[in-house]
Amino acid sequence: MYILCKGYLIHVYLIILLYIVYFKLLGNCEGILSCCNIISLLYVLHREVQQMRSPAFSRDVSWRGRQMLRKLRNKCKEFLYFFSLWRKSVQMIGGNFGGGVQSYFVFLRFLVVLNFVSFFLIAGFVLIPTFCLLCFIFSNPDECKVYEVKNTTEIYQYLLDFLSGTGFMEYSYLFYGYYNITEMPNRDFFYNIPLAYILTAVFYFAFCLICMITRSVPRLSTGVSSYSMIVFTGWDYSCLGDRATKLKQKNILYQLQVDLEEESRKRHEADLSTSKKVILYSLRVLMTFLSFGFIGGAFYGIYVTTQFSQVNDVKQGILGFIIQYLPSMVITAGNFVVPLLCDKIALVEQYSPSTTIILALLRAVFLRLVSLGVLLYTLWSQITCYPDELKGNCTLCEYNNNEFQCWETRVGQEMYKLTMFDLLINVAVFLLVEFPRRLVVDNCSCKPVQWVGRQEFVVPSNVLGLVYGQTVVWVGALFCPLLPAINTLKFVILFYCKKITLFQNCRPALRTFRSTTSTFFFLVVLLFGWGLATVVLIYSLSEIRPSYGCGPFHSSSTMWSTVPDSFYNLSNVTQEFLFFVGSQAFSIPLFALSMCVTSQYAICVMMTCILNSPYCAFHGVILCLSSPWQCGDVLCRSFSNCLWEKHCTAKSSA
Amino acid sequence: MGTTASQLSKESLSEYQELTFLTKQEILLAHKRFTELLEKHEKQQIDARAPMGRITTLPELKSNPFKERICQVFSTSEQKDGSLTFEDFLDLLSAFSDSATLEIKSHYAFRIFDFDDDGTLDCADLEKLVNCLTGETNDAKLSSTEMKQLISNILEESDIDKDGTVNLSEFQHVISRSPDFVSSFKIVL
Repeated sequence: MYILCKGYLIHVYLIILLYIVYFKLLGNCEGILSCCNIISLLYVLHREVQQMRSPAFSRDVSWRGRQMLRKLRNKCKEFLYFFSLWRKSVQMIGGNFGGGVQSYFVFLRFLVVLNFVSFFLIAGFVLIPTFCLLCFIFSNPDECKVYEVKNTTEIYQYLLDFLSGTGFMEYSYLFYGYYNITEMPNRDFFYNIPLAYILTAVFYFAFCLICMITRSVPRLSTGVSSYSMIVFTGWDYSCLGDRATKLKQKNILYQLQVDLEEESRKRHEADLSTSKKVILYSLRVLMTFLSFGFIGGAFYGIYVTTQFSQVNDVKQGILGFIIQYLPSMVITAGNFVVPLLCDKIALVEQYSPSTTIILALLRAVFLRLVSLGVLLYTLWSQITCYPDELKGNCTLCEYNNNEFQCWETRVGQEMYKLTMFDLLINVAVFLLVEFPRRLVVDNCSCKPVQWVGRQEFVVPSNVLGLVYGQTVVWVGALFCPLLPAINTLKFVILFYCKKITLFQNCRPALRTFRSTTSTFFFLVVLLFGWGLATVVLIYSLSEIRPSYGCGPFHSSSTMWSTVPDSFYNLSNVTQEFLFFVGSQAFSIPLFALSMCVTSQYAICVMMTCILNSPYCAFHGVILCLSSPWQCGDVLCRSFSNCLWEKHCTAKSSA
Repeated sequence: MGTTASQLSKESLSEYQELTFLTKQEILLAHKRFTELLEKHEKQQIDARAPMGRITTLPELKSNPFKERICQVFSTSEQKDGSLTFEDFLDLLSAFSDSATLEIKSHYAFRIFDFDDDGTLDCADLEKLVNCLTGETNDAKLSSTEMKQLISNILEESDIDKDGTVNLSEFQHVISRSPDFVSSFKIVL
């Protein structure tokens, strides 16, 4: 342990040394650059020499320290393992259907836990304070402030309203429009609901990002497990019981079979004659273009349908319901049909199973997320009157008041509808397609039926369903705070449906794929969805004027402007403290120290980069706080200014 | 230095603690479980041997595919029947304990995998090893071509001196690259 502490102390000394150097040579930019490079090189050399020179005893001492850390980590892992949800089910699935299918269920479990924890975050900071405080009545009614909610009359209307979030569900905790509190009636107790609303949304996104990254990084560095590694180190001697042993044996068998098959496929491909290779590669290129063609056709269909649905929105009853759900239906139809076609394409391409899965994922995620993006774009252009022919509606209230009296609730309703529809379709397919298919295949022995056969559990399309559902929830979380909780329930129902269907209706896959790379790609694809939701969040927070008639931001110019306003309302001492925390003198050493704990070599590289353009980083951060949408071009401008200044000072000092 | 009737003396306890990686509680628990395996008349004997058949009824070993090999490796009997004395049993638990080093564990793992006890892992040993690992049931088994391919791949990766077998140092070289080996090579009562 002593040796470990001493090692870290050296890092700290070097960082402080770098810092002193920087301040001493403040005027001489080129001097800093060369100095930092030299110092980082020296540091790396020192570390290498130290490791070579350390005697066996100290290595033993540090080994004991590492042992204790490892024991602690194992104990923590065992503790968490005990609380792990659905552990036995996932193990059974892995043993019976292979690692590939198991990775889908592990991913689903991760999303359930993520949504559940997010719900607590939102409930704690937004729901419960709103519940505790009284509602505040608007003053000065204005034309823009009118917010009329349709009343629910007939019985069947209740069901339609439940499914689409209108009527009795619209003005409730479910949607943004209900959170009306901006000022407190009681002066002694102050809780800034608008600020809490925004910051909770921002932290929710940051929390999800951190969870995804921490989950994907270990998967990246597990390294290649060769055959000898699997065979010599694969067995777990603490496995108890016949069932667990059999499952473990099956897992190892699957792993070996996957690797052996990929290898024989590679050898087979390498053995092909040149002409066959050319044919294969040209087929692959052709199939790629074909898949892009399918995806493009689906996009166009969704765009046309969404326009049609928005224009014809006024009809009532069942027809109105169908028109309301038309974009969702077209999107879901596209999401069923196009991956099927892409599967048939994959048969022609003849990649290895792992590559096929990754390609199927990437193609279909392109389709799913951009079709969702088209829907959102259409919705937002309706709200802000983006094409000029509807400009008349937006001049009064800066958003389209005629159609969207409370546009945030409307967006929340769209996302709610997408989620509910997705759940309904999954349950309907489960009950009405998969079970009958199995009954027909088992009882009818005619040739075409047997050729179709029992279904196989297709992992990529199922994973995309999850990513799509989660992206919808992320987009809608700002406008529908209870959506993560609804999504948790939805995913729990989905877990049980998929598990039952897997065991009752599916046949075991003829070949399985490697689960470690696929799990990493699931998270990468989920990250794409997160990126789309973040773009939507930033745009909504900073560009569109909030509704006058509902919600906590009806008196602000943009939702984000609440944050700087609240910041400047703080006392001077607090403001100065926060400025200090955000300034160079505090944040750079703190940042460097935190990097110490994680990686050794990366510190030097990063310190060099940061110290080269400190002004730019600081300047950009402050500007970003006031206008997040212009963050990008502000950073670029300030960076180029910096470089120009440096160049000038360097020239003048030379 | 042997075990007394049904209780360990203080000197033996501290001696065992010095010689193995086990703690006092683990040694006492091991003694309790071992004496449960013995017949009534054997309990009073010094250096009583428990036969392999009874050792493999322990729940920690019952479903382990390597249980016979483990007993054989740690047994000190002249008849090579896999029977263990209490001290052999402690050796076993010590090698499989949390605090044993990587060298000890890899040494014993090598001996367990060496089914014909000739000091190297040749093709027959590797085939038996793979069959133990994958279970050998009729419906889920590697085909003979897959098995041949697998064994040749293993030899290609780990046989550095290209003599067609894997010796102890080559084996330890492979093991040292695995971060999970030490935590998976563990049996705790």
